[in-house]
Amino acid sequence: MRPILAIVISAAAALGLTEPGHADPAAGKAIFEAKGCNACHYTQGPAREKTIADQLAKKGPELWYAGSKFQKAWLAKWLTEPKPIRPLAFNSLTEENKGDHPKLSAEEAAKVTDFLMTLTSDVVKPGSVKPKKSAKGRLIFVKKMPCSGCHAFPSRKKFKGGRSGPSLVGAGERLNPDWILAYLQNPKVFKPVKMMPVFVGILSPKDMKQVAGYVATFKAKK
Amino acid sequence: MHLNRAIAALAGLLAALALAVPAHAIDIEQVYKFYCAQCHGLTGKGDGPNVGADFPVSPRNFTNAAEMNKLSDADIKNVILDGGPAASKSPMMPPWGKTLTAEEVDGLVKHLRKLCKCKGKQG
Ligand code: HEC
Ligand code: HEC
Ligand code: HEC
Repeated sequence: MRPILAIVISAAAALGLTEPGHADPAAGKAIFEAKGCNACHYTQGPAREKTIADQLAKKGPELWYAGSKFQKAWLAKWLTEPKPIRPLAFNSLTEENKGDHPKLSAEEAAKVTDFLMTLTSDVVKPGSVKPKKSAKGRLIFVKKMPCSGCHAFPSRKKFKGGRSGPSLVGAGERLNPDWILAYLQNPKVFKPVKMMPVFVGILSPKDMKQVAGYVATFKAKK
Repeated sequence: MHLNRAIAALAGLLAALALAVPAHAIDIEQVYKFYCAQCHGLTGKGDGPNVGADFPVSPRNFTNAAEMNKLSDADIKNVILDGGPAASKSPMMPPWGKTLTAEEVDGLVKHLRKLCKCKGKQG
């Protein structure tokens, strides 16, 4: 490790030790930069991608709305134990996800989480979706719409879902239910160019809410 | 001298080519690979990464001329825009009408014809 990195990181860690339990986004931002996380993730909105080529040039998902997208507890834990979310390697249809994402110590992860949780989008409306295992939500996800064709989901049947989209197994612990709805409603805000079809004008606002609530119940594998 | 003239000719040719290609030319193969290959496979054989052994219905193999000949260009366009159910097919074939531009949809119809090397049902 280059000395300057070491200094920044230990300074941040020292701050953490002197202020236990206190949110410290500035220290988290310093760690994020020192660890080179921004080589693959951008943290300032709005979305920059205009073409398919822009989207394919990215090395990792954008994080500028991470605070609206993720649940805090999940994020802090994942950064210490980054298990694959997307079955396939980022932007690939042929290579498997090797599961080699950079790892942070619990202390670093807590700080970086504090930083990432400050990155929010005001398009996400708090309290708009409650996790709910409705029959209607299930019908949309597995039957009426092709969601299960591209996303792994908790299923008792043989078919466990597709592999081109991020796995939604554990989405109930990973994603903010309000963000799931906002993501379906405002595809241009979060991902102007994406492999997932736009469902605005195809799913009614009510159906979107129901399927978002359904996805928000997906548990992690035991 | 010769070299200069050759360069001038080349420059002229390049300028003419640039004019011939519309500014917003789309790379239809890239569009196909980005959206459709997830299920239909990079070469169109219906073997994209989503299609494991338990996938409920086989995505159309675009290289199968006999099957693809049963569809007219209008049939293909409709199913791309409105998804499988619009043609009494499986909802696993998504509706792309709100995702793709009209130009991309028309380009995809032609691209599938290239993959099947077939003209399709006329009319
Ligand atoms: C070499 C590129 C690269 C670097 C460096 C990198 N990441 Fe990532 N990151 C990725 C990729 C690719 C994914 C998707 C992983 C997956 O789906 O399993 C990802 C996923 C994430 C996610 C989850 C995002 C989502 O939408 O699922 C977070 C949070 C994250 N990274 C934070 C970090 C932090 C913090 C660092 C620095 C310690 C970092 N990353 C460094 C490439 C990178
Ligand atoms: C053709 C494949 C496909 C279909 C069909 C599809 N998705 Fe997606 N989905 C993706 C991909 C790929 C992503 C990652 C972003 C991108 O490139 O679109 C994604 C992202 C998501 C995310 C965000 C996950 C994350 O961690 O970032 C959610 C939630 C989601 N989809 C839900 C749904 C729902 C609900 C449906 C059905 C109404 C659906 N998807 C249909 C491919 C698909
Ligand atoms: C989530 C997986 C998935 C994606 C992504 C997908 N398809 Fe399909 N497609 C299918 C399935 C499954 C079928 C077969 C449906 C059936 O036979 O009931 C199909 C069938 C078709 C057919 C034949 C319809 C018929 O009447 O026989 C065409 C044409 C087609 N797809 C075009 C496309 C194009 C173009 C794209 C990209 C814009 C695309 N598909 C993306 C799953 C997908």
